Amino acid sequence: MTSTSLPDSLITTLPGSAYTDPEIFAQEQERIFEAMWFCAVRSSDLARPGAFRTVEVGRESILITRARDNSIRAFFNVCRHRGAKLCTEETGEVKRAFQCPYHAWTYDLTGKLVAAPNLTKMPDVGRSEYGLVGVATREWLGYVWVCLAENPPPFDEVVQDVVARLGDTESIERYDIDNLEVGKRIVYDVKANWKLIVENFMECYHCATIHPELTEVLPEFADGYAAQYYVGHGAEFGAEVKGFTVDGSEGLDRIPGVTEEQDRRYYAITVRPQVFINLVPDHVIFHRMYPVAADRTIVECDWLYLKHVVESGKDVSRSVELFDLVNRQDFDACERCQPAMSSRLYAKGGVLVPSEHHIGEFHDFVQERLGTGSSQ
Amino acid sequence: MIPVCLLVELPRGEAYRLDIDPPVSVFHTDDGEVFAIDDTCTHQDASLADGWLEGCEVECPLHASKFDLRTGAVDAPPAKRPVRTHEVFVVDGMIYVQPSTEAPNLPPCIAARLAGEPA
Repeated sequence: MTSTSLPDSLITTLPGSAYTDPEIFAQEQERIFEAMWFCAVRSSDLARPGAFRTVEVGRESILITRARDNSIRAFFNVCRHRGAKLCTEETGEVKRAFQCPYHAWTYDLTGKLVAAPNLTKMPDVGRSEYGLVGVATREWLGYVWVCLAENPPPFDEVVQDVVARLGDTESIERYDIDNLEVGKRIVYDVKANWKLIVENFMECYHCATIHPELTEVLPEFADGYAAQYYVGHGAEFGAEVKGFTVDGSEGLDRIPGVTEEQDRRYYAITVRPQVFINLVPDHVIFHRMYPVAADRTIVECDWLYLKHVVESGKDVSRSVELFDLVNRQDFDACERCQPAMSSRLYAKGGVLVPSEHHIGEFHDFVQERLGTGSSQ
Repeated sequence: MIPVCLLVELPRGEAYRLDIDPPVSVFHTDDGEVFAIDDTCTHQDASLADGWLEGCEVECPLHASKFDLRTGAVDAPPAKRPVRTHEVFVVDGMIYVQPSTEAPNLPPCIAARLAGEPA
């Protein structure tokens, strides 16, 4: 407990150091991002065998590719010989093998060591044993999730975060996210701690103040209660609103599986530790965070539409503009908080009002993973 | 003549490395032809049996020079000299190689070892 007891309406946040201390960030990398399932890339970004992406997961660079049999493979992006970073590009395509630019150790798409200078003179060097070291992968919702843990936790942990919000898995399956197409991708470089971004996404107390356009579309947001405050609740579109667009104008074709109940509603889900999903009848907005430092987070955001909507070149700009605007308003707010996290005034943290109290569960989750017990 | 393996044991698109000195690799092309060349790239000690077979060419897995299986000719640097080719016979389903009597074009360290010098 804090030295001064709080009024019942308020509970504490994490202390300021949780958002600035590089050592705490290093622990989060090890015990959260390298230990849990981490949403890494959109499967369709790896369209053909040999297409690859490299992503930072915790402190590790991970190379993700598609093998000849079309299976997804993920490896530590480290040559087994002398430790050179194997792939330095963020994205690209190899014809049939990854070759270390240092001594030309060459690995096929399954990670097996297939060639190296003088390798035939070293028959005792096992080609699998000295192949790339793999990490666990799983495809869900059209994304590749990786887990760097030696014994990955059940993937159901990920699914349960969706169930906690929507009440079941069928509700998200109706959006057929696997088969939607990326209509737009925007990458944001946010100068704020990843937890500020999660907290922001979880509450709507700020909505009426910083999101005037969003609150026009979803009038109940003016009450300050986020869709994430409830289970199975979608915020309803305003009566005059035609679609989830920046000006409330008509959206795109509705995803066929979406039920009448889900129509004209907005659902938001936080999948710990680094994914936010927004569901609206005609598209899905899917955020992946890549925390890179205590005070910096890359956020990659996909706007997903029905295939024919994207392929026919329909104008999705008004629907993209709405959430791009929301994102920029949110990230500006997070960046406004970050410098104050190291203020003397914030050493013991701030407070959460009742419509934000559910963020306390996120803080408990972080502290449990870090083994630091309840706050203060 | 040196027996290699049964033709049925060498699927199309694959290679068999014959562990003689210097080693020879035998390729079964996608078109069903069988060729034998020296296994070692003339640029650096790499096994061409581990390389990438396309048509009648094999690409060295290390630095991408390509060798013509029919003539041994190399297409582009870093390898500059051709590999030796060897005669191949298939008798009663068995592959045999008749090693060439020409001098091989081996990369420097292997050539030195074969000449009895320290590698």
